Amino acid sequence: MAPAFDTQPVTAPRLRVGRWRAAGLLAVLIAYLAATAYVAHTDLGLQSLVLVAAVFGILAISLDLVAGMLGLYSLGQGGFFGIGAYATTILANDYGWNVFGLLALVLAATGLIGMAVGAMSLRVSGLYFAITTFIFTLVLTVLATDMVTVTGGLQGLLGPAFPDFPTSLEWLGTPLVWCIMLALLACLCLVWNIRHSPLYPILLSIRDAEPFAEAAGARTAAIKVGVFGVSAAMAGGAGWLFSFLGVVSPSQFDWSVSLNVLVMVLIGGINTSVGPVVGAMFVSMFPNVVNINPWLQEIVYGALSILAITLLPDGVVGIARRALARRAGEIAPVADAASAEALPAAPTVASAASPKDSEIIVECRSIEFGYGLGPKVLRNVDLAVRRGHIHGLIGPNGSGKSTLANVISGRLTPHAGEVLLKGTRVDGMPASSRSRLGLRRTFQAAQLVKELTPTQNVMVGLFDRVPRIVGRAPLWPMLASGRRDLAAMQRRASEALGLVGAGDWTSRQVADVPHGIEQLTQLASVCVAGPDIIVLDEPATGLSAKEVRHLAAILANLKTQGVTMIIIEHQTRFLFPLCDRVTVLNAGEVILTGSADEVRADPVVRQVYLGE
Amino acid sequence: MLQFVLSGVAIGSIYGLIGMALAISFYVTRIINFAQGQLMMVTVMVTAELASSGYPVWLAALAGLACSCIVGILSYVIAVRPILLSNRFSFGWLVSTLGFAVIVENAAAYIWGPTSQAFPPILNGISLPIGGAVLTAQQLLAIVTAAVLAAGFEIVRRYTLFGKLGMATAADPEMASAIGANTAIVAIVAFAVSAVYAGIAGLLIGPSTFANPYLGDTFGTYGFIAMMIGGGTERPIAAMFGGLLLGVCAEGANALINSQASDWFPFIVLVLILIVSPKGLFSTSNPLFRPRRAAVTRG
Repeated sequence: MAPAFDTQPVTAPRLRVGRWRAAGLLAVLIAYLAATAYVAHTDLGLQSLVLVAAVFGILAISLDLVAGMLGLYSLGQGGFFGIGAYATTILANDYGWNVFGLLALVLAATGLIGMAVGAMSLRVSGLYFAITTFIFTLVLTVLATDMVTVTGGLQGLLGPAFPDFPTSLEWLGTPLVWCIMLALLACLCLVWNIRHSPLYPILLSIRDAEPFAEAAGARTAAIKVGVFGVSAAMAGGAGWLFSFLGVVSPSQFDWSVSLNVLVMVLIGGINTSVGPVVGAMFVSMFPNVVNINPWLQEIVYGALSILAITLLPDGVVGIARRALARRAGEIAPVADAASAEALPAAPTVASAASPKDSEIIVECRSIEFGYGLGPKVLRNVDLAVRRGHIHGLIGPNGSGKSTLANVISGRLTPHAGEVLLKGTRVDGMPASSRSRLGLRRTFQAAQLVKELTPTQNVMVGLFDRVPRIVGRAPLWPMLASGRRDLAAMQRRASEALGLVGAGDWTSRQVADVPHGIEQLTQLASVCVAGPDIIVLDEPATGLSAKEVRHLAAILANLKTQGVTMIIIEHQTRFLFPLCDRVTVLNAGEVILTGSADEVRADPVVRQVYLGE
Repeated sequence: MLQFVLSGVAIGSIYGLIGMALAISFYVTRIINFAQGQLMMVTVMVTAELASSGYPVWLAALAGLACSCIVGILSYVIAVRPILLSNRFSFGWLVSTLGFAVIVENAAAYIWGPTSQAFPPILNGISLPIGGAVLTAQQLLAIVTAAVLAAGFEIVRRYTLFGKLGMATAADPEMASAIGANTAIVAIVAFAVSAVYAGIAGLLIGPSTFANPYLGDTFGTYGFIAMMIGGGTERPIAAMFGGLLLGVCAEGANALINSQASDWFPFIVLVLILIVSPKGLFSTSNPLFRPRRAAVTRG
């Protein structure tokens, strides 16, 4: 398949655009600092309005970090916020601790508590995560109300005073304004950096397609707990800031605060960089702007939040972004409408010589598996795949093929038996560790992030090939190594897409590409990591005849590079010419393993599977 | 000992009713209606208002329940259905039902003012000695009503076509509508029923708490705890068990620790239970207690 391997035109680094963008960012930064200076010199009323909005902005960013990027709707932000504020107030007022020392303490403590709460509530997913964190906040509010001697009960406590500037810096104005506004800026930067790092597609894939992220080597549970810890620390830091703004009392941290923060994020626009801050400004300034009877005001607020959720599910920033995209779309009409049909012509299948007696690279020994208390789905299954072979796995629906693939790749743990990869026993290992041994897989129903481009999805496949993605993500675009690695990852991802013949689709959202391209994107995300072993679960499902021929060519080519493949497939006309060995499963048992010809000739196989 | 168990069961059956109300609407729509406590409050306020303007108590109570019902259906139509229809946003209901609760609560405060008003006594005067303890007829009425409503719900759910329709809608709304169920009607009925359950809880507790627009907050929270302790998210009747447990814990804490302990003790119980069994004590996933029906996990 020579033509496809010619280097695809690599997107040239758009230096000029980058420079314009840097200038724009610098201008925004200067404007931000100028506004801060203005607020630092203005009257107290406006100051407190802005500062409260900014503190809630940080809180909203902390929620968006977990809700927007990981899909974890935490209602615990109010609780972490309260821990930060109470710890600061009590330790500074009663024990005279240094407030900056307290900041470090608060960040560490809320981060750790967040990780503990996260680890506990992640046993249950989705709604239960929201409920557990909700209860966390509820319990803290009750404690703050009832431990009157420590917390002052419902009356609350007067927060500590923020230290003054040294005389040489007094011209800057109110120090607290600078502190809060710089903290907000730091949080905005943190999230913006993550959003522009390769961690971003990985986080979204954990949110939308967790098996995909796991198969790419991401320890999804650890990442979730870690990010939740960061989010909790951010909320705790917001509490630290809040304690300087006046009285700290239970009603400022109860569950309705957690929900209000969610309202802020949703109104502003979930999973956007500035949306949460826009929402926080709106919600926290609302009572000051709409100055009517307090009950009527609450009624209007309730009505507005319902309207915002039902009418603007993407939030203000989401709407704005869509409007901008539409305008951009009008200027540059869709270029690849014509090329949509054109897959590169499939080269003829090269009959690659397969190594006859190479060593066994994947081995299953007497695997037993069943779902729940139901009947056994796999019974005493033995499978041995030699290095460099393409091993077919066929059988009627429900015969256990996908289950076996899941056992090999680590999605499922067998009840009995052993799985060996390259001689290492792996049946106790999570999927992410098997990826490090060079095993990758695709899924029958493509597991991809719909709102990202195929390129970004393929970058997920590079997760364990690039060092320290998670550690570097908070500073990514500021690091030279980060920019270099990101460019390299993007190049490799679009090359991989080009190699599988999806090079024309790199910049569309996956939601907008046809099914065949989704399948090819999956394949590219696997190939890009250069694995030794690939498990393909029905790769040809839903492809057109032409696409199937193309796929066969890609797989044959991978084989010439020495990649071992286990392919589950129903289309024997596609599968058999590729295979060195074929294993036939029926009702959870291996009927036969042999060459394609032997399998085709076997009377039992003809009866149970080929239907004769 | 007997005294706090009995009064715990009495208050617990109120919590259980609200928990069941939450669980019934959750059961069909998979959302938690944060306005549930406010639905209870609507019944209490309307009943108090009508009774004080001279209508007979039974009529006032019926009108109160009808109002709750209407508000409950409104909460579905306004705050839940649009969210579930757009479906793009699976957690928007957290915000919209809370927004609805804020509207109802503050509208009540605007109409009736934030202070408590008299509520007609229903059976408060009579008291019955049981063993060494005393139970008012009001408390006994609460226990009996809760038992009847809980059992009634379970019978309807299991043995009538409509109950099975609810189960089908709960399991898979698309499939249910494919076989001809009108899932919107099922959901509306569920919200109406849940509003009635909450309203009845309000009628039963009204004589002791009086009518206050902020009643919904406290009782909504306790109902929520009842549902979570019990595991009402899987089987609504489990919320009733959770409520009884909660009531006994709260009264027991008051009797055995100190008179303020009911403010925090139930929360400790809640946390402990959720650590052991995140989906509730009487749920199918509780490692300590598994109902006989084997859980069929999907692949």
